[in-house]
Amino acid sequence: MAQPIVTPGPTSPTPRAPRLPRWLFWLIPLALLPLPLYLDQYRQYVVNLILVYVPVAIGFNVVIGNLGLLAFCNVAFFGIGAYTSGVLALKLGLPWWVTILPAGLMGALAGAAASVPALRGVRLFYLAIMTLAFGELLRWVYIRWVPVTGGSFGMSVPPPNVFGWVLDNEGHKYYAFLALAVITVVLTDRLLRSRFGRAFMAIKDNEQAAAAMGIPTDRYILLAFAWSGFVVGIGGSMYAALIGHITPIAFDLTELILQFAVVMVGGLGSLTGSVLGAALITTAPEFFRPFPGFLELLFGVLIVLVILFLPRGLASLLARLHPLFVDRYYRD
Amino acid sequence: MLAVLPQLVVSGIATGMLYALIALSLTVGYRATTVVNFGHGEMVMAGAYALFVFAGFGLSFAPALILALGLLFLWGALTQRVFMRPIISGPHLSLAMMALAIGYAMRGGARLRWGSEVVTLTRPYSQDVFMLGPMVVTMDDLAISGFVLVLMGSLSILFYLTPVGRLVQAVFQSQRGAALVGLNVHAFHAMMWGVGAALGAAGGALLGLFLPLSPDMGVWTLVRGFAAMTLGGFGSFHGAVIGGLLLGVMEKLLGFYINTVFIDITAYLITILVLLIRPAGLFGRQTVVRI
Repeated sequence: MAQPIVTPGPTSPTPRAPRLPRWLFWLIPLALLPLPLYLDQYRQYVVNLILVYVPVAIGFNVVIGNLGLLAFCNVAFFGIGAYTSGVLALKLGLPWWVTILPAGLMGALAGAAASVPALRGVRLFYLAIMTLAFGELLRWVYIRWVPVTGGSFGMSVPPPNVFGWVLDNEGHKYYAFLALAVITVVLTDRLLRSRFGRAFMAIKDNEQAAAAMGIPTDRYILLAFAWSGFVVGIGGSMYAALIGHITPIAFDLTELILQFAVVMVGGLGSLTGSVLGAALITTAPEFFRPFPGFLELLFGVLIVLVILFLPRGLASLLARLHPLFVDRYYRD
Repeated sequence: MLAVLPQLVVSGIATGMLYALIALSLTVGYRATTVVNFGHGEMVMAGAYALFVFAGFGLSFAPALILALGLLFLWGALTQRVFMRPIISGPHLSLAMMALAIGYAMRGGARLRWGSEVVTLTRPYSQDVFMLGPMVVTMDDLAISGFVLVLMGSLSILFYLTPVGRLVQAVFQSQRGAALVGLNVHAFHAMMWGVGAALGAAGGALLGLFLPLSPDMGVWTLVRGFAAMTLGGFGSFHGAVIGGLLLGVMEKLLGFYINTVFIDITAYLITILVLLIRPAGLFGRQTVVRI
């Protein structure tokens, strides 16, 4: 009896996965809601830290992943957001929730400022060097502008306050952070799936062609930088609220490699990847704190491996698993 | 105030020689592969530490230095061959990230091994001070300037007057043309990264003469190398040298006449201003695309 021969391969049709509606993504934050019931204060702090890095990573990814420009100034936006929030809370006595929007706006302003060289035609490595210098210059300002920033010793920020309710434990902060993380993810998702996001992609693929097609590339570059600054600035204000003490050393080049690792390992140009990277990479410093240097070594090797063997990051693995995770740049 | 001007210029030139060497080493790699090595600062750092390790074996300064330069040459060539070549036709972002990541890994390694120690190199000469008219010249200034000048002199002889140098010039002019006449351009890329790393390591060795070694010295040097390179014009050899000298003098002038805190940020300010006002620098060609 001859067995029927089944030939797997490119000719056999692959079964289409059933279409799943995108509102299923809303189940993720819902499922995360009861988390503080199960975690102690320290674990909750680590989870909060992940939530801080969600806006930071998606903001960074908009510029380097979606727009495809080599800008190394994300840490600068992060620091500006944190210091704006901290200074407003400490010197003017504003409650934390009032400072979130100004922190985002200051970040957006810094983003707009950082886009000036890009608008003047500075590209590639020139832009990278320049934005690197911009970030380091800002760190110098944090250190030197002692009356406002507290210099190298930093400044202590009062515990965050939302509508008069003081968030004095990690579980309380968690809900505020979860809300902010969800809002920034949803808004960025809307942005990327609109014509703005498609314009970013066109600029990334071929800037001259995009300009020739009538896309006002200048405006979109400015917008991408400002949006990136805005989102990351909000992340900065969350960081200030979480840590409670801001020092210039938190915004140095080691922080830059951490944020790079988050975006690269998660997936360049992928919103899912940013969230995934934040969830996986952000916790690493907590484990390796006793071994100075190990973290840099680890992140360096990790990024090298990702670039060589998985250029689209972990998000590409996830996208292969199920089409729901494929990043879309159109509305359903 | 003006009386100290010559003194500032002289000590600025000595520091500037060091920046010139680092900018030159960056330019060598950049000209060969059109990729800026964002991890170059760590090559400088590794050069200084390699010298320290070899000196620890009981070698005297000169053989230890030669071994350190040789080691960094191999490492630079290996980096280019193993990590950069597979992605060399990919997007610039990956290339920059790759170089940066390698640099970070090296820095992390150095911090793991030497992070908690104070590591210093011993000078192979005595620390004398000379009076040159009204100016004070230290032995450090002389040693650095002399070493860099000899190095640059021999490099320009090698580059302009020997058959090997002509081959290098040919590849710099047109990679495709050089490949067509039978030059191995890939091997050339790796070799030039090696040369860049070795030159950077020489800079690290000089830096280690008057500063304690630290895993973070790479960033410090990279920023100054970039500033010098930007000021002189990307890809220009004499631009890198002149940019380095100018940067060294400007740091001293700004630091003395305005405020000492400006010494730290002169390099950043120069980078930003030059790229905003004249991205091609003093001697570079205008390559920026405007849309």
